[in-house]
Amino acid sequence: MKANISRVVFGTVAALLASGVLAQAGTNSGATEEPEYTWNAMQGEKLQALRAKGDPARGEITFEICQGCHRARALGRTDGSYPRLAGQHDTVLIKQMTDVRAGRRKNDKMLPFIERHAVSPQDIADIAAYLSKLPVPANNGQGPGNDLATAERIYADKCVSCHGAAGEGDANEFYPRLSGQHYKYLVREMTDIRDGSRLNANPRMVEVVKGMPDSMVQIVSDYISRLPVGGAK
Amino acid sequence: MHQRKQYIALAFLASLGSVAATAARAEAQQIVTTVCVACHGEGGNSVVPMFPRLAGLQAEYIEKQLKDFLSNKRKSEVMMPAIANVKESDAAGLAAYYAAQKPQKGEVKDEKRAAAGKVLFDDGNTTTGVPACSGCHQAGGVGNERYPRLAGQHQEYTSQQMLQFKEGGRNNDKGKVMRAVASRLTEQEIADLSEYLAGL
Repeated sequence: MKANISRVVFGTVAALLASGVLAQAGTNSGATEEPEYTWNAMQGEKLQALRAKGDPARGEITFEICQGCHRARALGRTDGSYPRLAGQHDTVLIKQMTDVRAGRRKNDKMLPFIERHAVSPQDIADIAAYLSKLPVPANNGQGPGNDLATAERIYADKCVSCHGAAGEGDANEFYPRLSGQHYKYLVREMTDIRDGSRLNANPRMVEVVKGMPDSMVQIVSDYISRLPVGGAK
Repeated sequence: MHQRKQYIALAFLASLGSVAATAARAEAQQIVTTVCVACHGEGGNSVVPMFPRLAGLQAEYIEKQLKDFLSNKRKSEVMMPAIANVKESDAAGLAAYYAAQKPQKGEVKDEKRAAAGKVLFDDGNTTTGVPACSGCHQAGGVGNERYPRLAGQHQEYTSQQMLQFKEGGRNNDKGKVMRAVASRLTEQEIADLSEYLAGL
């Protein structure tokens, strides 16, 4: 998957250039204003970690710092307090870890364990390589099972184009795998993205969830939590 | 003939190495019986609660701590004068000695507290963001080459160290991770954890 990264980075940069975002940022250099938020900007430690060759064996050792919360084999907790990371795309994991570290994604609980004094960009690449290859058992937390037929239609209409029919996501596009994730975590994150408190969300995702009432967030999360885990690789 | 010479040279070097190792062991033994034993007890199983038990701690950990005491990176008014004549080159031998000793089980004084400590050790506190201690220190607090054994340690010593990580006073933890964890622990939780660990 990571072999495609340079292509993705190139593609993203090219797309940004075409859209004038980078050109504009260039003319703004030296301005006092905070530069406008660019989703998944390819820079700094994110780029360093994406370019590094992750070593799963080293990652397993470094992950000891993480497993007090994310649990052994990164299965997370069904109460949603900590997400499952097993089987997530390495690109997505690297994006999220470096976003938290940079304050781009707000997460005070995690911050001290992912800061520079705790792990390096190489460590982040190693952890991602380890996690992305872990098996995803079908014992994740699920919702109450209400109105799944409606949720299925909403998912097909709004979610499937990015996250895929099996909730498999897309490593090249940095779209997370959703299948096998805990229901309560899905509800929490979708709500935070909707309410603007996650800070690093894709504007397209914000657009999709913007008008969703809590009840819709819940049934869609429930549907996602029931997607077969074998469907995604 | 040439090969034979090489072999003899190698054997000679190896015997020098083993002579050096024997000498280092004897020297470590000498320091143990003249310096360390007074506080850390026979075979590193201290009986005084404020002095840590060293028996069975990982050699990597003991060596690092000893070097940190010697360089004053880890501060202790008790250890500093005690190790005035210990050299950095002694650290590995001393660490190997104590790592090889058999740890004794401590004693639980408050079962209820120990039970609460076990829950926190195994599961953490999701509300306050305390990770499960077992994530690093392993189930049953046995540790590994990266994170020290905690099992069987005196309540008083474990509490004292966690409070130092929490309030300042000890800052030689790797990546500031232990300080981050301790800052989230309440004094009650520290007491519970220490009680649990003592009984292991």
